[in-house]
Amino acid sequence: MTFESSPAQPPQGPTPLSPQEFKATVEGILTNVEWVIEGKSHTIKLAIAVMLAEGHLLLEDVPGVGKTQLAKALARSVDCSVRRIQFTPDLLPSDVTGVSIFDPEKRDFVFKPGAIFGNLILGDEINRASPKTQSALLECMEERQVTVDGNTYKLRSPFMVIATQNPVEMEGTYPLPEAQRDRFTARLAIGYPDVNAELALLDRREEYNPLDALRPVADADMIVRMIAAARAVHLAPELKRYVVDLVTATRTNAQVRLGASPRATLQLLRCTQVLAAMDGRDFALPDDVQQLAVPVLAHRLIPTTETTMGGGDTKAIVSDILRHVPVVSNPGRF
Amino acid sequence: MNGQRHATLVAAATLALTLTPLIGVFAGLGWTVPVLMAITAVAVSGSLMRAAGRGQGLQTLAMVGSLLVIMTAGFNGGTAIALIIPTPATFSHWGELSGEGIQQIIVNSPPVPAEGGILFLTMLGVGVVAILHDMFVVGLRTPALAGLTLLTMYLVPVSVAPEATAWFWFILPAVAYLWILADDNLRRVSSFGHRFTGAGHLVGQHFPSPLARTARWSAAGFIAVTLLLLTVVPTNTSGLIDNVAEDFGGTENYSLGDVNPWAQLSGSLNRPEEVDVLRVTTTDPSPRYLRMHVLDELTDDGFGPNDYSGGDDADGLTGAGDDEQVFEAQIENLQMEAPVVPVYGDPVGLDIEGDWQIDEDTGVIVGDGSDMGDVDEYTVTYTEPVPATETLAGAAGMDPSDERWESNTDHPDVPELADTVAQATEGAGTVHEKVLAVLAYLSPANGFRYSLETTDAGNDQAILDFLETREGYCQQYAAAMAWMLREAGVAARVVIGMSQGSRDGDQWVLTSHDYHAWVEVYFDGPGWVPFDPTPASGVPGSVGFPWATEPDTDENEEVNEGDPSAEPSEAPTDGATAPTDASPGAEENPTDDPTALAGGDGGAGATRFNPAWLALLLLLALPLVPALWRAGIRRSRLGPGRLSALTAWDEATDLALDYGVAIAPSLTPRQAAGVLAHAAPGARDAATALGAAMAQQRYSPRGAAIGGLADAVRDLHSQLDKAAEPRRRYRAMFWPASLAVKLSARQAEQSADMARRTARTADRMRSAMRRARRSNSRRERSVTGRP
Repeated sequence: MTFESSPAQPPQGPTPLSPQEFKATVEGILTNVEWVIEGKSHTIKLAIAVMLAEGHLLLEDVPGVGKTQLAKALARSVDCSVRRIQFTPDLLPSDVTGVSIFDPEKRDFVFKPGAIFGNLILGDEINRASPKTQSALLECMEERQVTVDGNTYKLRSPFMVIATQNPVEMEGTYPLPEAQRDRFTARLAIGYPDVNAELALLDRREEYNPLDALRPVADADMIVRMIAAARAVHLAPELKRYVVDLVTATRTNAQVRLGASPRATLQLLRCTQVLAAMDGRDFALPDDVQQLAVPVLAHRLIPTTETTMGGGDTKAIVSDILRHVPVVSNPGRF
Repeated sequence: MNGQRHATLVAAATLALTLTPLIGVFAGLGWTVPVLMAITAVAVSGSLMRAAGRGQGLQTLAMVGSLLVIMTAGFNGGTAIALIIPTPATFSHWGELSGEGIQQIIVNSPPVPAEGGILFLTMLGVGVVAILHDMFVVGLRTPALAGLTLLTMYLVPVSVAPEATAWFWFILPAVAYLWILADDNLRRVSSFGHRFTGAGHLVGQHFPSPLARTARWSAAGFIAVTLLLLTVVPTNTSGLIDNVAEDFGGTENYSLGDVNPWAQLSGSLNRPEEVDVLRVTTTDPSPRYLRMHVLDELTDDGFGPNDYSGGDDADGLTGAGDDEQVFEAQIENLQMEAPVVPVYGDPVGLDIEGDWQIDEDTGVIVGDGSDMGDVDEYTVTYTEPVPATETLAGAAGMDPSDERWESNTDHPDVPELADTVAQATEGAGTVHEKVLAVLAYLSPANGFRYSLETTDAGNDQAILDFLETREGYCQQYAAAMAWMLREAGVAARVVIGMSQGSRDGDQWVLTSHDYHAWVEVYFDGPGWVPFDPTPASGVPGSVGFPWATEPDTDENEEVNEGDPSAEPSEAPTDGATAPTDASPGAEENPTDDPTALAGGDGGAGATRFNPAWLALLLLLALPLVPALWRAGIRRSRLGPGRLSALTAWDEATDLALDYGVAIAPSLTPRQAAGVLAHAAPGARDAATALGAAMAQQRYSPRGAAIGGLADAVRDLHSQLDKAAEPRRRYRAMFWPASLAVKLSARQAEQSADMARRTARTADRMRSAMRRARRSNSRRERSVTGRP
């Protein structure tokens, strides 16, 4: 596998994907991942949606609930190149992006691609790396390309970064700057499994690690086709208006210092399309938007100091906005 | 001036305003002084007590006390101590005054002189109302209730003087009421310090509220609508004292004290409860009318009684001729008060207490200081001449050289009436023919209808009105007939008395509803012969005069056939035009024929459209308006032309609103459908289908099919209805919340719009003021800086 100056192939001639095929594939991935992470189908669904929306996922939760397991299971279910980067304080930007080294045989510098050159990048404990390394990763995430020594290398498609972050452990960590959190399409928390799920987890793991038994149910091509299919989902003007209203509401909310960006609007719509397609529909509904609003918007908001000190969090703010923004901006069509 | 004193002033002023219609009731303006004094005394005493910080109880006591004092000062009859402290004798004096006042109210017609009992009652009434009014407006701060006191005040003139119902008399009391409401509201609002608009904008002290324009328009609109209703809806304002003859000649023409025969007539007929007046035992198998007054003086103001000139003593009645049948009637007086004796036909003997005289010209027996009120029973013997129709047909009228000619044919010159009479009596040669022509003209066949709901007097305009509206009762009929005959050159006069009454065993009972008016026409030979133009259907105890018809029966039929408007069903009206047709049985007991009466009324009523019924119908339909409106909206949404997933969904959400199911606007159609399904579990499928269709229609590129949506809405409706409590169900039916929301949404929009406009105006004015200041300073600088 060489990466030298090889730009990622443009998406192949789109083979139309029927909604049924789309749904079946998604369900395959879902079943696969659920085999590893019990009782978290909604979270898994959202994670898949982020993948198909060409977004990046930030998993933020306490240690041991399966952040890495989820990322790994998702990666295994799709037959594509998976790279894992364990972020440590001494990790350097070149470890992520790659580096040019002198090849004495060719008497020239040769680019050694870093870990970022894969389809699925699993960035564990991203907040342990120094800010400059984080920045290197984040640039790749947004631009989908790497520039080293004046040469630009396109990243592969599909390309998705799943980063995990531990919110409780603060010592020796470098929390992601607010502006950079914006690069992640969604932030998900997994949460503790309920009693039955935990029991099932114990049973399943008695003999072997279920992760090892996973077989891929889709390949990179399939994912590319699915991404294309999702982009074709119809977005009604009323729905776009609703999304814009929601995002605008985050900007005018009194509890928020910094609202969601237009990028948030775009990504929310992309995820909405995917969620609609996952439901077998070719048009998006406000219900899709509402499912996504908290994961997509909450981590981008910066609450005011008063809100933070009052114990408020941005998830509650977004939920509140959802309760108050009318689905149709002029409900009184009398 | 503090708020309470201001309110006291407003209360007094509004009450005074409301009294203005009383101007029509009293002669002169002298009554205003004591009445205004009473209002002032009440207001001042109440205000003083309030200033001293006393409670409502003491305030009321003080007001009552001051009223007592001022009443005592005005009406003590020499019984008070130091002129203002009432003694028990004062109160008994007041009792007499009240009795006198009530008596005056009953017999007098407005305008009445403001003195004695009437003035006492007026002042007392106004004083009491003033106390209540002050209490409502100032003490209890319930200005809306003050409308009751104002209404009480307004009702007095309206019920006695019909001209008080003219629209301009209504305006002042209405304005007074609005003044109270506005003043109180201003007081209430300014007690908060600031005034706000509906949209929460601050309004300066001297800026009108943005809502003021709406309020002014609606107030003007309400007054206009009320005035309009007053003119459209027929009102029966003939009350205790109807001034049917108020215009007649003025009070100075009365020779019978202040008693007006017309007032007695219409007052009695309009009395809601029927009281027995006379009880007659007579040898006459079918007595005719009892004559009381003869009105033969015709002026612009209608018929009035002559100055009874007096004459022979009633005891000296000449006996009857040998060939005449003499009847004897014993008459028991139950309730009659009159200065004349009611007698039948031509009296030949009278046995009665007191001094009575016979008026030569009219044959009326007038009291010479005596009144029927003092007579318990009297006996009259009389003859009842029956002139043959043929005799009358051949008889001439009164000879113009007769000295009575002048007084019995004199009439004001009214060209329109002359035309009408010329038309009506066209081709009539003899007196009898003219009489019959006029009778035919006034018959129901010609569209005339008996109605007590008419208050007009007998003056020229009223007669023309009657001939125009063709509605009236015996007064108008008799006056019109006599006037028309005079116009046609026939000597005629109006007689007021009592009809036959109803039979009670061997006796005849005459009630207050049996007062009647008819006409006497002079024929050379037979003398004065009675005719009754009023339809028999309207008069209980009506008597048909056999001579009031054509001598030849063939011609009679011809007249009836010749009238195209005569309908076969109008049996009772035939009886009126040709009373000879009435069978002897009916004549004996005419009131026993209720079907005939009802038929007559109904037949006549059907020809005329009464707008009151329409108003009543509209009023009854009013509560149904929201329901009908809502049903109309539903039909238009679910109609085949307009039905779409969106209209079906709109209807579903409106239904939810009607049945109190809250659907927040932030809910997606699916979630809303879930809420609906939860509220009406039976309609889960319908709600889900509606929500899905709505989502599909709005968000998918293809739109939704409309099949089954109308049924789904109906299903949802019935299930919601089933699930709702009864109260909620009725509200959803008769006052659907979705309508209210629509209306208030529109109103909120307008209010916000208005607030914006006001704010803009205020901004403009502020900036204009700022500019003005700046320009001043510039000028000063230029003057001082560069000399």
